[in-house]
Amino acid sequence: MSDKIRTQEEIAARVKALESMLIEQGVMTTQAIDRMVEIYEHEVGPQLGAKAVVKAWTDPAFRERLLADTTEACQELGIGGLQGEDLVALENTDTVHNVIVCTLCSCYPWPVLGLPPNWYKDPQYRAAITREPRKVLREAFSFEVPESVEVRVWDSSSEMRYWVLPQRPAGTEGWTEEQLLALVTRESMIGVGPVAEAA
Amino acid sequence: MATATTLPPPYTDPAELSRARAAVEQLVCGLPGGPTGATAGQDGFEHPWEIRSFAMAVAAHERLGFDWAEFQGALVASIEAWEGADPATRGPWSYYAHWVAALEAVMAASGLLEDAALEVRTQDVLAVPANRDHHEAHLEPIAVDPAS
Repeated sequence: MSDKIRTQEEIAARVKALESMLIEQGVMTTQAIDRMVEIYEHEVGPQLGAKAVVKAWTDPAFRERLLADTTEACQELGIGGLQGEDLVALENTDTVHNVIVCTLCSCYPWPVLGLPPNWYKDPQYRAAITREPRKVLREAFSFEVPESVEVRVWDSSSEMRYWVLPQRPAGTEGWTEEQLLALVTRESMIGVGPVAEAA
Repeated sequence: MATATTLPPPYTDPAELSRARAAVEQLVCGLPGGPTGATAGQDGFEHPWEIRSFAMAVAAHERLGFDWAEFQGALVASIEAWEGADPATRGPWSYYAHWVAALEAVMAASGLLEDAALEVRTQDVLAVPANRDHHEAHLEPIAVDPAS
């Protein structure tokens, strides 16, 4: 790149020119580019993960399958993964709370949670959550994990992507799937926040 | 506009979307970030040209199968050049500006792009008013599929 400063208009024009030239050269088609753009435009978002969580809350047999083989159980719900890229659901209990991080870059269980939030990729989060998880949860996320509960931090990689199965809140017996879905937050599936309170 | 019907279908199959994303993610995972911690494809795109350039590099790689390390090296070189430049004269930080530069470098090295030609084409684009053929109000529907 020449080191002259370009305005947004100039660089947008240059990219447009580049695109038209590469298309003429047969390097790519507009469709190929659009298709790639589409991957990022139509985000799956965390609602797929929420669906799996609610199913696990309401269907004990599914919960068993989910914990035994998360990738396979997710496929039952049409949540796609890739071969060799395992999803692992970590169940929170009365004594264990799980948190996920990717210490190297930003490996994230995107088939269930969509794109990672920006802070997830922040080197500060990645380092601090490993060093002082309880403190980070409290100070950065205002999320207090009782001292009686062990906090486990899991390192996701591109081969194995963790996500958290939060506990079903008390007082939600007999709730419909829709009501339950509204409780499951993205933060609760990363492990940095609670599920919403049962109103 | 006769070719409009050949557009590929959207990613309705989650497994296919999943494969496509994983492939992209694998490409970008090892790329250098910027001084702001920016990482390719994962931070929001601020401008439409950014996502276009991002997609173009991946599409070119898919089509031509060049060694991704080549692109990576060009990206590193561009970022380093910026970092080493005089802060008074260099442009503001833009991760995707380096991405564009890297793509240009790789295409030029493959003999598929000439910088001078690109410059000319860019000026052409800039010379065309954005609304050249669309500068007046169109008050009527431009197509009607009548009721039967």
